Amino acid sequence: MADKEVIAYPETGWGMPFHYFFDSTVTVDNRAKNGRSTRTFIEEKRWQPVVDNLHEGDYVLIQFGHNDEVQTKRSYTTPDDFKANLEKFVNESRSKKAIPVLITPVARRKFDAAGKIEETHVAYTQLVKDVAKKLDVPLIDLDAESQQLVQQMGPETSKYLYNYLLPGENPHYPAGHADDTHFSELGARKMAEIVLHDIPNLHLELADRIRVVKQKEKK
Amino acid sequence: MMKAICKYFKIFIETSPVPLLWRGVWVRFLLLIVLTSFVLPTNKKITIWMIGDSTMCQYDSSRFPLTGWGMPFAEYFDSSVTIENKARGGRSTRTFIAENRWQPIVDNLKEGDYVLIQFGHNDESKSYPDRYTTPEDYRKYLIKFVTESRNKKAIPVLITPVSRRKFDSSGNAIETHETYSKIVHEVAEQYKVPLIDLDQMSIQLLQQYGPENSTLLFMQLEPGENPDYPLGIHDNTHFNAYGARHIAELVLQGIDHLHLDLAGRIVHAKK
Repeated sequence: MADKEVIAYPETGWGMPFHYFFDSTVTVDNRAKNGRSTRTFIEEKRWQPVVDNLHEGDYVLIQFGHNDEVQTKRSYTTPDDFKANLEKFVNESRSKKAIPVLITPVARRKFDAAGKIEETHVAYTQLVKDVAKKLDVPLIDLDAESQQLVQQMGPETSKYLYNYLLPGENPHYPAGHADDTHFSELGARKMAEIVLHDIPNLHLELADRIRVVKQKEKK
Repeated sequence: MMKAICKYFKIFIETSPVPLLWRGVWVRFLLLIVLTSFVLPTNKKITIWMIGDSTMCQYDSSRFPLTGWGMPFAEYFDSSVTIENKARGGRSTRTFIAENRWQPIVDNLKEGDYVLIQFGHNDESKSYPDRYTTPEDYRKYLIKFVTESRNKKAIPVLITPVSRRKFDSSGNAIETHETYSKIVHEVAEQYKVPLIDLDQMSIQLLQQYGPENSTLLFMQLEPGENPDYPLGIHDNTHFNAYGARHIAELVLQGIDHLHLDLAGRIVHAKK
């Protein structure tokens, strides 16, 4: 981990708890980097090394959108390019006999005045779905499912899912923090659980590699 | 003026008895001594020894999201600090000593090391005779940890046991370690030991979350939610990763308030 990421803690990506859920036949190689769009991920030569190392039967979980969709960001990617890049990830994974899985971008915490959660990825979530349909790729609609969870917790309690810290609470954020995009340990785990629960629904072989634990009954 | 000083210095170097080749090295060596004498006191390597029970200890990832507060706590110190989390689930002060977990720590303590001491959950549990420790013995063993740490010039810090999640019918978080927390206070006062009242601080945290939301801090999982706990779990004592971090934050705040030298080794981001 780089210094910047250490100091970012307790900010937690959902890939971090996700890797605890599988048995010893699975290696989770989390190549996600914050701030990256499909375009910058490819431009920075982060994708090609993945392709080079893909083996038959590997899975490629693909979740982008947050940095693609913001026009004011340097990482902005046009809808057309976003689709083309997703197709590239899918096709190149398949050419190595790996199995791509498309994931819609996880929800931001945004409520309207009536306390109803708002969709913050309208256009780009739809593009992910379009590509999944066109190329017949297994799809996890994390956007919709995470919105459901955030809605269920409501405007106040849902803050616990995200990296909200009071001033003086945490040495890494002395002035406090209020982030409606990045998760706490709690939110990251809940998002990872959503993705995990969808894997059996998609009838992926990966489902057989989810850890099976015989839990002791509590006395 | 500058010119005069330079000239004088040049004469001094040229006439000094140190061989020419060694002059630069000699000057650098002196400079190093002068600099390190300022730097050393804060950069001296120390170890924080953590002794306690399941609420503090390290867990294997196979039990995730179960997390002892010692785990996130370790993320907040600079490189001068080594954390030795020796806490073990199910241990009371008595069994921790009886199993020879304390003596090896004493043997390895160095001057300036810290010993964070948090017991109580198992000491107070009368229903587990193999763990139970009488109040008198609890006091005696806490004093043993304190005095033996000090004999090695280490700094003991007493921590009252972190609260269990318990609310009364009107929604007030209530004390769950009455007798044993009080004993920690008494030992701290009698022996002038820095004290972090984690019991009180965590009761306040639970109150802030309230009866419902406070479950988010603990090992509370629905059946089928998490592969490691297929039957689900409803535990009001042990923390998940999120809760453990909040408890670690309280201990870090306690260290700050005590103005321990250790506070200077906490990594603070710039405001």
